[in-house]
Amino acid sequence: MPEVGRLAVCLALLFAAYGVLAGVAGGLRRRAHLVRSAEHAAYAVFGLVVIATAILLRALLRHDFTLEYVAAYSSSTLPTQYTVAALWGGQKGSLLFWSFLLTLFTTIVQVQNRERNRALMPFVTATLMTVAVFFLSLLVFVTDPFERLPVAAREGADLNPLLQNYWMMIHPPSLYTGYVSASVPFAFAIAALATGQLGDQWTRSVRRWALFSWAFLSLGNLLGARWAYEVLGWGGYWAWDPVENAAFMPWLVSTAYLHSVMIQEKRDMLRVWNVVLVLLTFALTIFGTFLTRSGVISSVHSFTQSGLGPFFIGFLVFVLLVAGGLLAYRLPDLRTRATMESFLSREAAFLFNNLVLVGIAFAVFWGTVFPVLSEWVRGVKITVGPPFFNRVNAPLGLVLLFLAGVGPAIAWRRASPRNLRRAFAGPVAAGVVAAAALALARVPLGYAFATFALGVFVLGTIGQEFWRGMRARQAMLHESAPRALGRLVGKNRRRYGGYLIHVGVVSIFVAIAGSNAFRIEAQETLKPGDEMAAGKFRLRYERVTSEENAHLSRLAAEVSVWRDGKQIATLAPEKRFYKKPQQPTTEVAMRSTLSEDLYLVLGSYDPPSGLVTLQAFVNPLVSWLWIGGVIMAGGTLVTMWPSAAERRAVAYELGRAQVPAE
Amino acid sequence: MRRTVLALVALLLAAPAVAATQQEVEESLTCQCGCGLTVHACNHLDCPSGEPMKKEIAERLARGEDKETILTAFRTRYGEKVLSSPTFRGFNWLAWVTPFAAILAGALGVTLVIRRWVRAPAPRPAAPPPVAGELRQRLARELEDMDREP
Repeated sequence: MPEVGRLAVCLALLFAAYGVLAGVAGGLRRRAHLVRSAEHAAYAVFGLVVIATAILLRALLRHDFTLEYVAAYSSSTLPTQYTVAALWGGQKGSLLFWSFLLTLFTTIVQVQNRERNRALMPFVTATLMTVAVFFLSLLVFVTDPFERLPVAAREGADLNPLLQNYWMMIHPPSLYTGYVSASVPFAFAIAALATGQLGDQWTRSVRRWALFSWAFLSLGNLLGARWAYEVLGWGGYWAWDPVENAAFMPWLVSTAYLHSVMIQEKRDMLRVWNVVLVLLTFALTIFGTFLTRSGVISSVHSFTQSGLGPFFIGFLVFVLLVAGGLLAYRLPDLRTRATMESFLSREAAFLFNNLVLVGIAFAVFWGTVFPVLSEWVRGVKITVGPPFFNRVNAPLGLVLLFLAGVGPAIAWRRASPRNLRRAFAGPVAAGVVAAAALALARVPLGYAFATFALGVFVLGTIGQEFWRGMRARQAMLHESAPRALGRLVGKNRRRYGGYLIHVGVVSIFVAIAGSNAFRIEAQETLKPGDEMAAGKFRLRYERVTSEENAHLSRLAAEVSVWRDGKQIATLAPEKRFYKKPQQPTTEVAMRSTLSEDLYLVLGSYDPPSGLVTLQAFVNPLVSWLWIGGVIMAGGTLVTMWPSAAERRAVAYELGRAQVPAE
Repeated sequence: MRRTVLALVALLLAAPAVAATQQEVEESLTCQCGCGLTVHACNHLDCPSGEPMKKEIAERLARGEDKETILTAFRTRYGEKVLSSPTFRGFNWLAWVTPFAAILAGALGVTLVIRRWVRAPAPRPAAPPPVAGELRQRLARELEDMDREP
C-alpha cells in the first residue's frame, strides 16, 4: 500500500508540472481547451494527494512500523487522536499535509471560478500548481513519507510528548490553513500582473480568501500561544521564538493588506502597495516554513530539523524574482493618479496603520535574523531574545492601538473640525476618565497603564459607531433597539464585523499588557501540609498521587488553594513520564477566572522526604487573550458572511472587466 | 504622529535605572540548555544550565555585585550569546536602531507622499469610454439605487 502512496505523489508531481505548463501556455495564447486541461490536471493532483494522504493516515492508524515515518512519530499505545495528529507531527507528513491543503484550496478556487475570472484563471492555476510542484518535489526527491525501514520496527518511537496535547490537534492545522490559503491571493496577484488586469477585480475576488487566511493565521497563533501556555509550563504564552515570529510576520503583513485594500476600493489608490503586501505575505509564509524546517535559527519548535533549508531559500528566491520581475514590468500600468485631501483623513490613518504593521513585521524579521547576521559579520554568536522584542514592539503596539481607535471614526477624504469633535470628543473623554481611574487605583505609569487607557478610547470609538448607527435606524425606521442593532450589522457586515474584530484586538492588547506588567511569581519547596503564598492566594500542598499505564506514568501533587481563609479550589499539577521516548513533561494546573489565572507547576519531587518544589504564577487577565480570539473569530464570520450588496459589487467589477478596453 | 513615535522612542531608550533584582538579571541571560528561553523562564527539571546560573546570580547579588558586573562575568564565561538581548555597542547597536530607523524613514516617506498627494490637483473623473460609458453609468446608477438604505 505505501508503494501506491509513493506512486500517487510521483504522478501528482507530473500532473502539477503539466498544469503549470498548460496553464501558462493556455493563458498566453488564449487557448480555452488548454486552460481547461490545466484545471483538470489540478483536480487530478488533488485526487492523487488525497489518496497519498489517506494511505499515510491509514498506515499510522494501523501502526505499520515498516514505514520510517510511522515508526518515528507514533507508537502502538499512542491514543488515536494523537495518531491522527502525527500526520502533521513530523516533517514529511506535514509537507504532505501542506500539499493536501494547497491542492484542496486550488480545487475550491477553480470550482468557484468556473465561469468567472476566466482571463485570470490560467495564471492562477499555473501559480498554485507551481507551489504544488515545489512541495511535491520535496516529497518525491528529498523526503519521502512512504520510505520503508530496512527492517520493520517492533515498536514506534512515539510522538514527541510535547505534541501530545489537545491544542496540538488544532494549532498546526489551523496555522497551516492560514499559511497555505495565503497562496490564493498570491496566485491572483500574479495572475493580475501576468494579464495586466490590475483593477479591482482580483482584489474583490480574493477578499474572502485573504480574510480566511488572515483569520486562520490569527487563530493558529492564538492556539499556539494556548498550547505553549499549557504545555511548556514556564508561565507565559509567547516567547518570541523564531517559529512564533515566523507565524506572526505574515499575519502582520496580511493585516496591513486587509486595511489598505479598503483604500484601493474606495479611492482607487495604492494598487502597487497592495500587490506588494500580497506578494510579501506569501513570501513570508515560505520564509516561515524555512525557519521551521531548516533549523538555521535555534528554536523550541525544532521538533524536526533537516537539510531542507536550501530548497526553501531557493524557492523563496525564485518567488521573489518572478514576482518582482512581473511587478517591475507592470509598474507603469499599476500607477494611478492618487490624490488626497488632508492628513486628517481615514486614508492617512490607514497609511500610518500600514506603516506601523509593516514596521513591526520588519522589526520582528530583523530581530529573528540578526543572530545570523552577527555571525556572518562578526563571527560572534549572539542571542536576540524576548527582552529585545518586547522593548522594540511595545511602543509600536501602542501606536497601532491608538490608530485602531482613530481609523474607524475619522472621515474619509477630509475630516473637518466639526467631524473630529463629533467623532472623538466622547472617546477621548472616555480615555481620559479611564486614565484618571487608573491613576486613582495606583496603576503605575507604564505600558499597561497606556494600553488600558488607549483600549478604553478605542472601545469608545467603536461603541459610539454602534450606538449612533442604531439610534439612527431607530429614529428613521422606528425599529426596536435589538432589531435596529441586528439590521445595522446585517446591512454593513464588513464594517461592523471589522469593528467587532477591533474589540477582540483590544481585549488581546489588554491581556498582554496586564499579564506582562502585573504577573506574580513564587517558588517554594514544601513538605506535605506546608503552605506558601502566591499573591492573594495561599497554597497548601496536601499529598502526591500517582498513576501508571502502558503509555505513561504520572505523578500529581494535590494542592488546595485558599483565599481569605476559604478553600476555593484544589489543583493538581503533574509530572508525566512518557515511556517510549523516555521523556518527562510537566502538566500545569490552572484556575482561570476573568481577572487572573493561578498557574501551578510541579517542579520536582523527592520520594523519600516527600518534598515537592512548587512554582506558582498569578497571571492577570490572561483569559482575555482567549476571549479576544473568540471575539475576533466572531467578527471575522460577520465580515465574511455573504451579502447581496457585495455580490453586486463583484458583478459590477466583472462587467467592467469584460467591457473592451479602449 | 511623528512626534508621538519620537517621544515613545525616547521613553523606551531611557530605561529607568532601578536596583537589580534576581528576576531582572535572570531575564537578561539566556539559558544554555538549548531551550532558547531566558534563565528566568526556563523551568526544566534540574536544568543543568539554568539552575546553577540562578544560584550563582543569587550569590553574586547577595555579595552586593551590580547587574553589569554579573552580566560581564557570565559573558566572559559563555560568550556574548548568553545575553538575552544584544548590547548597545558596536555592530549590535544596529539591532536596536534599525527597526526604528526604518519606521522613521517610512513615516517620513508616507508624510512626503501624502503631502504630494494633497497638493496634487483633484483630478476630474476620467471621461468614460463613449460606448461603454452609457451602460456603465446606468449600472452604477442602478446599483446605487439598490444600495440605498430602505
